[in-house]
Amino acid sequence: MVVVRLKPLEEILETLKGFKRVFIFGCELGSSRCKNGGLKEAKNLGEELEKFGFKVTGIRSPGGTCVLERIASPERNLLKEAEESSDVILSLACGAGTQLIAENVDIPVLTGVSTIFIGAERKGKYFDEYCIACGDCIISKTGGICPVARCPKSLTAGPCGGAIDGKCEIDPSMPCIWYTIAQRLEKLNQPDVLLKLKTPMRDYRKSIYPRRFVVED
Amino acid sequence: MSFSKKIKNGKFIITAEVAPPRGIEWKTVIESIEPLKGKVDAFNVTDNQRSMVRMSSLAMSKLLLDSGFEPIFQLTCRDRNRIALQSELLGAAALGIKNVCLMTGDFTTLGDQPDAKPVFDIDSIHLIQTAKKLESGVLLNGKELKGVPNFTVGAVYNPFAGPKVLQVWKLRKKIEAGAEFIQTQPVYDVRVAKDVHDLIESLGAIPIIGLLPIKSLKMANFMKKLNPTSIPNRLIEGLERANNPAQYGWDYVIDIAHAIAEFGKGIHFMLVGKTAELAAFIDYLRNNSPYNHKF
Repeated sequence: MVVVRLKPLEEILETLKGFKRVFIFGCELGSSRCKNGGLKEAKNLGEELEKFGFKVTGIRSPGGTCVLERIASPERNLLKEAEESSDVILSLACGAGTQLIAENVDIPVLTGVSTIFIGAERKGKYFDEYCIACGDCIISKTGGICPVARCPKSLTAGPCGGAIDGKCEIDPSMPCIWYTIAQRLEKLNQPDVLLKLKTPMRDYRKSIYPRRFVVED
Repeated sequence: MSFSKKIKNGKFIITAEVAPPRGIEWKTVIESIEPLKGKVDAFNVTDNQRSMVRMSSLAMSKLLLDSGFEPIFQLTCRDRNRIALQSELLGAAALGIKNVCLMTGDFTTLGDQPDAKPVFDIDSIHLIQTAKKLESGVLLNGKELKGVPNFTVGAVYNPFAGPKVLQVWKLRKKIEAGAEFIQTQPVYDVRVAKDVHDLIESLGAIPIIGLLPIKSLKMANFMKKLNPTSIPNRLIEGLERANNPAQYGWDYVIDIAHAIAEFGKGIHFMLVGKTAELAAFIDYLRNNSPYNHKF
């Protein structure tokens, strides 16, 4: 999922300066799962903003703010509702959701979060970056574990010389992902998989943004 | 005999490390290694070592060359993409710098400008492949070169990193890609030095074993923290007992250097503090030691 981090209240207040009526969007996908921009956080933020004299005109948190039909369908047009009632929209959805709102309304759209990564969730508490959307997935060959996203140097041909004692040289609280990959392949009784791995130079054209994906009919 | 000739003829190699200045005052750096002129075969010129900005490694390599020293131009993948790396290698060759030591490089956040963008477009193995590609007369994209470079290509190996099987896998790939010599992280045990020597040699490259004289107990503990298995307890105990830890640390490393001179192919001094002592040791090895025929 896409993981976001709520910005500090002071920063949000600063960006809202000059506005009065604020409509808040959350998102029940990523932002809600990581407890930094779902309905609950949007409501909390709304209460805080009221304390500072803002009028919160509405709070909505669809299941997928980055899907246009979820925020502006003929039956339930949240964007229209926001636009008609407010001076500004404050979005706690990820960067994609926030931009989708912005390109479909004629009032300013601000963000109350920073989008930080694509990650996996454990125990509703830990979110780890597992994917950088490089556009050229190799995890079938690396034990289902991605070294491109989980090695800071994105090394695909084995660990660097700083991999000491199973720890990453950049942050010893992180495992060197190559140890994890080696352990995994050993457990699967596939120790030779890596030794046969071909690791050509990456073609960065696959990750040059902005990319577009078209669903084929 | 030049470094590259020695590599090709299997002569015993002595290299040392020199860091470009933080600034442009390069003359004092040259002066500091003057006692080693004609003794150390080649000097590794570090490339913004530990991700801290120094004068360009390429520029310092050229200054060394002009001052009568043979440089080994170190080049990392941290700060340059494949376009810049090819360009640097061609530039080095045009300036007469033949020896290169190619590595992935320390990560940006470990240095003193941790906010910089890490590049790592390609890795150390790819960089070695790149140098060999240029030697074949074409760029990575196949376009023909006007004038073809010829390098003596080296790479690095840390005997204390893991997982061992993957580190060896990677080392093999570096050598298969074209690394002719391998310089290692510092070693403080003759048995480790011998094992590493045998490993590198068996894979087909010239092993140049890293040596870093320990100056104090504090330094030893720092090294142990970085690389726990690299520092044996007897070295720590010896430093604790020694009246002059710096001398003890020096003698300790020189003992290992003696042993490597007997069975090995080369040593790499990663810190040139005691230049006069190092010069004297090299003179001894070359002239009076039982191994003088290897030089």
